[in-house]
Amino acid sequence: MKILTTVKKVVDVELTMRVEDGAIVEDGMQYVINAWDESAVEASVQLKENNGAETTLVSVGGGDNTDMIRRCYAMGIENGIHIEDPALDKADSSIYARVLQMVYEKGDYDLVITGKQAQDTDSGQTGIILAEYLGLPCVSNVVAIEVLDGQHIKVSRSGDAGTEIVEMELPALITVDVSINEPRLPQMRGIMMAKKKKIEVMDLAALGVSADDISAAAPRSEIVEYMASKTRKGGQKFEGEPADITAQVVDLLANEAKVL
Amino acid sequence: MSKVLVVADIKQGDLKSSTSELLSKAKAIGAERAVVAIGGNIESLSSDLANAGSDTQYIANDPGLELFSAGPYTTCVVDAARQFDADMIWFGFSESGKAVAPRVAAQLDAACATEITDVILEGGHIEVVRPAITNKVIQRVKINTDKLVAVVRAGAFEAVEEITGTENVVELSPPESDLKAVIKELVSDASGEIDLADADIVVSVGRGAKDQAGIDLVKDLANDLSAGFGSSRAMVDGGFMAHNKQVGQTGKIVAPTLYIAIGISGAIQHLAGMNGSKVILAVNKDPEAPIFNVADYGIVGDLFEVVPILREEIKKLS
Ligand SMILES: Cc1cc2nc3c(=O)[nH]c(=O)nc-3n(C[C@H](O)[C@H](O)[C@H](O)COP(=O)(O)OP(=O)(O)OC[C@H]3O[C@@H](n4cnc5c(N)ncnc54)[C@H](O)[C@@H]3O)c2cc1C
Repeated sequence: MKILTTVKKVVDVELTMRVEDGAIVEDGMQYVINAWDESAVEASVQLKENNGAETTLVSVGGGDNTDMIRRCYAMGIENGIHIEDPALDKADSSIYARVLQMVYEKGDYDLVITGKQAQDTDSGQTGIILAEYLGLPCVSNVVAIEVLDGQHIKVSRSGDAGTEIVEMELPALITVDVSINEPRLPQMRGIMMAKKKKIEVMDLAALGVSADDISAAAPRSEIVEYMASKTRKGGQKFEGEPADITAQVVDLLANEAKVL
Repeated sequence: MSKVLVVADIKQGDLKSSTSELLSKAKAIGAERAVVAIGGNIESLSSDLANAGSDTQYIANDPGLELFSAGPYTTCVVDAARQFDADMIWFGFSESGKAVAPRVAAQLDAACATEITDVILEGGHIEVVRPAITNKVIQRVKINTDKLVAVVRAGAFEAVEEITGTENVVELSPPESDLKAVIKELVSDASGEIDLADADIVVSVGRGAKDQAGIDLVKDLANDLSAGFGSSRAMVDGGFMAHNKQVGQTGKIVAPTLYIAIGISGAIQHLAGMNGSKVILAVNKDPEAPIFNVADYGIVGDLFEVVPILREEIKKLS
């Protein structure tokens, strides 16, 4: 089985974000692998280890992605492709999906695994749109994968009313939730080996995308402004004898907030 | 005049409140309104769909649509959108909506925006507002296409009382099933329980409850209050709670009147799913827990001690 995994570099969401003049202040920002993509990488490596597979990752945009890709190599990914081009500066989900489509079509992949969303946009669209463009069967929000045979996998999806069990014919695309696994920490041996591995960096022309293709794929949406989000303020906090403070809070919920 | 198609949110045969909330917003921006309803046994819903505020109801009712499958659901929504000539297609917040919206957008060559909290018609184009980066910032997004497919964040729009509609049913032909992604089974433990998305009060349990006994303790509180019973990710990953009970960025977004967080630290990913609640009560033994930074009322204490007292005090109210 050949697996293609998509990974994106995103801002570290644990840091404080500052917004000035409609933009996020980049100073002091740090960038990390998107948590959902890290789970996609782990899922690919587990399939390689348990069922035998060739694993390739692709990352679109993000500038210097060397550290991130090396980290994925150290986790067990074998090949890495990085598409970088100034024309992608304003890319939205549908453009990312078009570029990923070109990458997919150059390989002979049986399974595409993407994170279900990226921590910078929280959009959750790219993988699903990619499947549409490729005409592949697609299940999103996957929390477990089982290989049935060379042509079929069975996945569990966390849905509205419970867990949906879906059998898929390969080639197929799945988007995974972070709860599918606990990504491994790269080990020293892997980290050393990763340093020697090559990363295939390409611009759009090298990928075979013409200027016309890019202009035809003008972004369908663009962010015009960032704003600081409304922060909630903490209210009254009670410490002391549990019986007293609990009674006091219930009284406030009933008579002040009027929610009980 | 713009034309908004709302995708009805139906769970266990009932029409959920998000449908009338979305139709109310559509009315507020002066749009023509239709709904599309998809399911296995929904023939009796047409008057509810009209009463929710729609003037046309596209209904795909077929035994094959009983269980959710993104492909066939997409076909139905696209069919209705084409017949209605919709320029906006809105989904309420749900896992099925998040799965189907990008597909519909791809098929209609439309833009797609998820988790939106507002829609603005601005000088001939559409703009949406949505949180991003785990709710740390808000984006204003300009839509460059004539058509927009959007998933609306839970609690973003309010239903107006006086909304009415007219019954005008258009039956959709049943779509082909997806032979390459076949839904085999739905493993559900949700039947009979109060839906988190609809509940007036939500009680959520976190790692502080430790184990099944702790969870049962907190669940009793939820039952007393007829509340939805949710969880932090820690208790889902620990195998104690089902995935569809998880509140947060990668789970359910809830905006109840009262949210009660028991033994939950208040990680940003959890806050992203509940900080739209009207009132928040937190119980945590750590006075520095970040949950207290968003809670209107905080009880610093051991949940094993506090929860039984909380139940007693609440019982005294009735
Ligand atoms: C990409 C990503 C997505 C995520 N999505 C989600 C999501 O959707 N939802 C979510 O919840 N999390 C999510 N998380 C995980 C999140 O970061 C936290 O790890 C998680 O919310 C922690 O759960 P918790 O508060 O129950 O556990 P902890 O953080 O371990 O907190 C337990 C709390 O219980 C308190 N406590 C312990 N014992 C007692 C006692 N006896 N009485 C009272 N209090 C006690 C402690 O003081 C502590 O504050 C996500 C993480 C990532 C990286």
